[in-house]
Amino acid sequence: MSEISTEPLVMPIANEADIVAARQRGRTMAIELGFAGCDGTLIATAISEVARNILLYAQRGEIILCCVELGGRRGLSIEARDSGPGIPDLRKALTDGYSTSRGLGLGLPGSRRLMDEFAIESEVGRGTNVTMTKWVR
Amino acid sequence: MSSPQRPVAPHSYGSQRPPAAVPIGPVGAIGVDEMQLTDEEVARRMSWLEITADDIANLTSIRDVARGYAAEVIEDLYRHFLAFDETRAFFRDEQTLRRVKAMQTEYFLRLTEGNYDREYVRDRLKIGAIHQRIGLDVKWYLGAYNFYLRAVGSRLMRAFQDDPERGRACYFSLKKLVFFDIGLAIEIYLTTIRRQEEAIRELSTPVLQLRAGLLILPIIGVIDPTRARQLTEQLLRSIRANRAKVVVMDITGVPSVDSRVANHLVQTVEAARLMGATVIITGLSAEVAQALVLVGIDLNRIRTVGDLQGGIEEAERSLGYRVSRVEA
Amino acid sequence: MQVPILKQGPVLIATVQDALTDADLHRLRDDLLQRVGTHRSLGVVLDVTALDVLDSFAARMLRTISHAVRMRGATTVIVGIQPGVAFAMVQLGLRLDGVDTALDLEDGLNMLARTIRSADPTSTTNLAGLAGLAELEWIDR
Ligand SMILES: Nc1ncnc2c1ncn2[C@@H]1O[C@H](COP(=O)(O)OP(=O)(O)O)[C@@H](O)[C@H]1O
Ligand SMILES: [Mg+2]
Repeated sequence: MSEISTEPLVMPIANEADIVAARQRGRTMAIELGFAGCDGTLIATAISEVARNILLYAQRGEIILCCVELGGRRGLSIEARDSGPGIPDLRKALTDGYSTSRGLGLGLPGSRRLMDEFAIESEVGRGTNVTMTKWVR
Repeated sequence: MSSPQRPVAPHSYGSQRPPAAVPIGPVGAIGVDEMQLTDEEVARRMSWLEITADDIANLTSIRDVARGYAAEVIEDLYRHFLAFDETRAFFRDEQTLRRVKAMQTEYFLRLTEGNYDREYVRDRLKIGAIHQRIGLDVKWYLGAYNFYLRAVGSRLMRAFQDDPERGRACYFSLKKLVFFDIGLAIEIYLTTIRRQEEAIRELSTPVLQLRAGLLILPIIGVIDPTRARQLTEQLLRSIRANRAKVVVMDITGVPSVDSRVANHLVQTVEAARLMGATVIITGLSAEVAQALVLVGIDLNRIRTVGDLQGGIEEAERSLGYRVSRVEA
Repeated sequence: MQVPILKQGPVLIATVQDALTDADLHRLRDDLLQRVGTHRSLGVVLDVTALDVLDSFAARMLRTISHAVRMRGATTVIVGIQPGVAFAMVQLGLRLDGVDTALDLEDGLNMLARTIRSADPTSTTNLAGLAGLAELEWIDR
């Protein structure tokens, strides 16, 4: 639905330092796009969560950052994808507190609250794909 | 680096919200939409002004007469406008003048076209909103109706020289409809002004420092999600900037506190706590508090005190000040 | 990136200098617990002013540290959580229940001094210097 206005930036996620790099890059892009106030931090936090999930559950994957424009509004879209084990029950995975790794279980539901748009696709044995967007206010 | 395939989705789950509405052009349409009148409401107003089927017939019957005098009336009217500094200021150049005259002509002709329905009302409201928007005072706006009625009255009488009774009847029908329009104009002026005032008030919630470490945040008006965010961000920044330890957030001026607003409040309180500050909420009535607990809001997470004065006293106590009330 | 830990009387002060990886956080936890034990510290101030993101993993680690430190008889105060970070944390759903927080190092040290004193009013430990600590030059870089 979003019209892509710049080249997407692909950031591989294969170790902990990659998580830090991806969220820092996301924040910089957000500021360049005109996000103000706390928004840069909200975006960076969401990136950190989905990147961490990639590393934890799929070992490797990538984060794709992309500026989008729709109806004169600009936004930052983040895609997190991996070819890991997939999620058998998305509804559960999106519930506060649900975790298969004794984590806090807030990564997915929390990112959904931090961003304006959030969608997740997953197939067991094939991988997971989270797409989320935040619009400049 | 392996490049993961995009997985195909056998099931997918998400919240792709539709893009938010795009602001509606230059017209002050906020008020217009807010004022959307129902068919019944339009009918009710018509009957208050005693506008009957006869009046509508009268009006449509003078359509051609009106077309005949339209140009002259407009010229008279604009001569009048240009004679006063306050109204002349709105016609900067020839082009603007021509454009506005054309619009005005259309406006007057519409009076004798029949179909005084919701669309008609919407149109009238829009025109009123534009005039409010460009800053034309209501006195000038209403004065123009008076000028119009006088200018048209004499011409109608002339047109119906042979049947003055009919001429008078048509004039009164026209007058009723003009008063209908005037009613709409005043309302849209008031609505738009009220909206603007609310917007200003809501955007500028002051954060006051009562004394070192103590902030007061009096919230007035509706808290919607956008404003809730602004308030929270503003408060958190003020906590840091003023090194505040206690914040008294007074919500006496918030008209309705539902579970959504309460959740925002809880979030703000939590965020402030993470920064090391305590928030005391005042002005939350016992009934509302009870209702919130019923819908599952955990009020244990927020400290509430009945009124602002009590909240300030509590804040000062927790800052270690001795509080003494001065009897008035 | 290792987090420097400064011992000041009965208190340890750990100041995060830059973004932390998960491994850094693990090490910080281990270092702090070990030092609290060897120095018999009564309090820990963990200064996170420099952190621009605190995600669910980091938040859980802060909570773990705080609880584990308490098991060893000391109190932890987290100081310096930035406005945006606090906002993101609550949106995420993180609450840091049972963890004490203060605005900055100075407030954190004051808070610790009060806590330590109220836990043991007869304590002979000298706390007088704590409040002034924030002004000290860092020697342990
Ligand atoms: N990329 C992924 N691949 C496989 N499973 C995932 C992925 N992301 C999330 N999950 C599953 O969804 C659950 C919830 O994720 P999250 O909300 O981030 O909480 P947490 O990571 O703390 O468990 C995880 O416990 C895991 O089972
Ligand atoms: Mg997670």
